[in-house]
Amino acid sequence: MKISSIFSLDRPWIWLAPLVAVLAVFTLFPFFYNIYLSFHEFNSFRRTFTFVGFDNWKGLFEDPKMWRAFGVNVIYLAVCLTVQFILGLGIALLINTDGKGYNLIRSLLLLPLVVPPAVVGMMFLLMEDSQFGVLSWIMQSIGLITAGEPLLTSSRTALFGVMLADIWQWTPFMVLIMLAGLHALPKEPFEAALVDGAKFHHVLFHLTLPMLRPIIAVAILIRGIDLFRVFDYVFVMTSGGPGIATQTLSFYTWKQSFSFVKWGYAATLSLFSLIFLIVIANMFIRAAKVKW
Amino acid sequence: MVVTQQTWRLGLRASVAWIVVVIFMFPLYWWISVSLRSDQDIFNKPPKLFVSDVTLKSYKVVLLGISPSSTSIEKSGAVHWGESSATFALPSLIDSVYIGIASTIITILISLLAAYALSRMRFSGHHHFIFWVLSTRMMPPVAVALPMFFLFRRLGLIDTYTGAILIHALMNFPLAVLLLKSFIDDIPKEIDEVAMLDGASRMTVFVRLIMPSIRGGIAATAVLCFIFSWTEFLFILSLTQASVNTVPVAASTFVTSTGTAWGYMAALTCTAVLPAFIFIVLVQKHLVRGLTMGSLK
Repeated sequence: MKISSIFSLDRPWIWLAPLVAVLAVFTLFPFFYNIYLSFHEFNSFRRTFTFVGFDNWKGLFEDPKMWRAFGVNVIYLAVCLTVQFILGLGIALLINTDGKGYNLIRSLLLLPLVVPPAVVGMMFLLMEDSQFGVLSWIMQSIGLITAGEPLLTSSRTALFGVMLADIWQWTPFMVLIMLAGLHALPKEPFEAALVDGAKFHHVLFHLTLPMLRPIIAVAILIRGIDLFRVFDYVFVMTSGGPGIATQTLSFYTWKQSFSFVKWGYAATLSLFSLIFLIVIANMFIRAAKVKW
Repeated sequence: MVVTQQTWRLGLRASVAWIVVVIFMFPLYWWISVSLRSDQDIFNKPPKLFVSDVTLKSYKVVLLGISPSSTSIEKSGAVHWGESSATFALPSLIDSVYIGIASTIITILISLLAAYALSRMRFSGHHHFIFWVLSTRMMPPVAVALPMFFLFRRLGLIDTYTGAILIHALMNFPLAVLLLKSFIDDIPKEIDEVAMLDGASRMTVFVRLIMPSIRGGIAATAVLCFIFSWTEFLFILSLTQASVNTVPVAASTFVTSTGTAWGYMAALTCTAVLPAFIFIVLVQKHLVRGLTMGSLK
């Protein structure tokens, strides 16, 4: 084979080489370095890493705080995903019309998406402040919360307070995707159903939802991945507190590494979240037949 | 009768839709109003829904670096800052723009090549390769930040622009590759084949045919990459210190143990969100595709 044909532009690897190099740095290196770290622990006296075998892995499965954080992740994901999906679909159905002013509504609903999540966290931190927060004030006046139990500093309600920020920011994401899905649906089945005098909920459950299934799958996959990785809101709003009531896996990992310098254990936690996410996401992709 | 009932329904629908919009816009209204309030007004109990006396003080302090102590700050929980350098946040805006633009350019250049190959050439492991690209989206940022911290420290990239630009470029590759691939997929393959039969080389096809036809797609991808860099928090937080500061991280430093400078924080972030919003409205048409990494068109 001639050298020139190996380097021919018809070969995909020439085009892919820069990306492969970059992905190696961004995925393979962190992955293997995390594996290496997970078998070591940083000794802060000698300032070196010492080999600890499977200690970190054993510690991980026996760590009640890890399981608590995992639980927080699961609750956070389940609640936010459900609320965002239902609200998103509802609002999409509501504004899926060519009427006057709806273009403006659709543009306005994009606004939350461009605010940095850390900033959304700060906005809600101020609004949920027990003393001068407008949201706390509204919720107190309608009796949702009591003055004795501030939203973000009570362990019963703090996670809910963080979820509000997430729901506000990402419901528009669902609206946008559902709108695109609704827009692409064929008109005929709906006109036929209308002629037959079908009720709204019949149309929704027997026509709209089944036809939107592929789009709903993608939306749930992407949102689910991001919800499981949640960090910014927790960092800004509660730092995992009160106690560890809002501590998610990402935040726990961050605390173990950048504040407690337990790099080895933090790497083990990262790997655990990563492997869990890849396995679940892969199963979901197969089950829901999501395509790229 | 039927007509009036229908008008009534349309009116009801529009009213509900606008109520939804008002609810969703309320936090933004509140944040903007905080940026225009005096500290006294921010810390009012119960909260005042409307700003009684609009002041641009926060904007002046944050964007122009006017010393906050030279303007009279009332008590009631207000934060007093010793020096104006701590509250002058224009440099973080400039850093955000610089890191956003530089990382976007790098991302787009490298992703375009890969996207072309993934769209037009079939090779063994093609599907696995795409899944590899996709799986990077599943890595928790903290799982990347940790090893990167050690790598950057060894390479001397901690707290440098190069480091910040690299990490944001790396972060955006999966999105850009999959998104650009989906735009190239939209162009019929036959066009390439006809051009190549006429003697055009791959490179000519790529530069003269593909690139001009996906201009809109490249613009949309670039906007999204820029916005993700613009809003990113964790990497900048863990991989930079004092000399590189983007808006989200700079805003979070207004939270101190003695109190929070809400007005400054709001003024800085309101300024930062405006350009991002304009950009995203411009590429609205491609947004769904972008947010789903090219899976939905």
